[in-house]
Amino acid sequence: MKTRISALMDGELDDRSAREAIVTAAREGEAAEAWRTYHLISDAMRGARPLSGEFSARVAERLAAEPTVLAPGRVQPAARAWFAMSAAASVAAVALVGWVAFAPQPESTPTPVPLAQVKPAPGAVAVPMPVAANDYLLAHQAFSPRVSLQGMAPYVRSVSDER
Amino acid sequence: MRGEAVAAAQRGLAGPACILALLFALGAGAAQAQPAEALAWMRRIHDATQKLSYTGTFVYQHGDRSESSRITRYVDQRGDIERLEMLDGVPREIVRTRDVVRCYLPGSRVVKIERRTRDRSFPALLPERIGALARHYDLALGETRRIAGFDCQSIVLTPKDDLRYGYRLYADAKTGMLLKAVIVDPSGERVEQFTFTQLAIGNVTRDMVRPRHASGKWRVEDAAASPARLAGWGLSAELPGFHKVFELKRRMTDAKPVGQMVYSDGLAAVSVFIEPLEARRGPLSPGIASMGAIHVYTREVANHRVTVVGEAPAASVQRIANAVEFHRPQ
Repeated sequence: MKTRISALMDGELDDRSAREAIVTAAREGEAAEAWRTYHLISDAMRGARPLSGEFSARVAERLAAEPTVLAPGRVQPAARAWFAMSAAASVAAVALVGWVAFAPQPESTPTPVPLAQVKPAPGAVAVPMPVAANDYLLAHQAFSPRVSLQGMAPYVRSVSDER
Repeated sequence: MRGEAVAAAQRGLAGPACILALLFALGAGAAQAQPAEALAWMRRIHDATQKLSYTGTFVYQHGDRSESSRITRYVDQRGDIERLEMLDGVPREIVRTRDVVRCYLPGSRVVKIERRTRDRSFPALLPERIGALARHYDLALGETRRIAGFDCQSIVLTPKDDLRYGYRLYADAKTGMLLKAVIVDPSGERVEQFTFTQLAIGNVTRDMVRPRHASGKWRVEDAAASPARLAGWGLSAELPGFHKVFELKRRMTDAKPVGQMVYSDGLAAVSVFIEPLEARRGPLSPGIASMGAIHVYTREVANHRVTVVGEAPAASVQRIANAVEFHRPQ
């Protein structure tokens, strides 16, 4: 049913199927829940504000119930309020990517497909990306031909302090 | 054409000519029509990136992380302005005008400035250079898929060797706008991807690309990049397909001069940064760090720290790093 709800939100159902899906969503616990969750996710993605008071609680609830590959970062006290919200958005983003990019999926909770973990060539020591790497990344992106195909999007590649 | 030939054959009108036509259609479809169409799509994506105004939200996914950002592009007669705002984690904003890139870091109240070089031939992937991509990549059309409400055509770039990554690009069938980019490693596994989750084309105002922060009192770090010849520095052997496209001098955070050499195969780029090591420091231990398709390899050469940053497989970045050498100019 979740697949139907997601198809409904994408406008992929014809009138009749859409009607049926809407009726089910209005009636059934699971379908109604999926409908609410998917809208929460898409609202969060669009940066719609203000978020309802229950938003974090609901996401936290979902998070507890779902297997997730997102490792929690170190929270800096000063940035806590911002981080709490962006963490929720990250969770939503992970779920959304799993849901949008890898559809159609079996009827299950949307979980992201982990990307390949890069292994260094033999003989090289793998080290964490230093925060100072941001300067190199910024300097490098300016010369990437990718910018001609993708605009500034590749500039998102930077190291966050929260890592 | 292929469909017609098949249909004609099925209708029982098949003579030798028809069978020949069928074979020709199948052969041509596999060998020629697709790469030409794929190259035409690359040009469409390129043109859309230069001409369209748009605003949207996209997700950048790498390893087990994903981050969403908002991107807005405004075009008028005087040129274009683009604004990128990171929505997750530490807030950051980047605004690019025709010749300056400004990176706003509200946490540390710093603005980093990169002036674009006068040499207009780079970093742009010029339309006439798009054909040259076929030298290192096999281009083909892939599936069609609906992304963020747009019907998209995918273009698949498969590298001809394992020195570079492969790309699957998804472009809006109507405008050519790139909705999704997946980068895959030589074994076919995805290493990172960019996906728009929401996008609106057109109706962008000048106000939407103004920086959000009043940064008047922030510290300004100007990279002061300028073309230069880094005397004595070079590679003992270039990585096949990657040629030096730029050489410059710049400053980093601590204001020390840093040399930068950029190598590219037309799509992927690798930068070599060179900076003097401080005498007091101990020896530098080499190591490789990774983030999505980007690898950073650091080693010491002739009492300098050499940092190689590039969107290429780890082994390629390492090979370039290990080829860096210094010969005292005569």
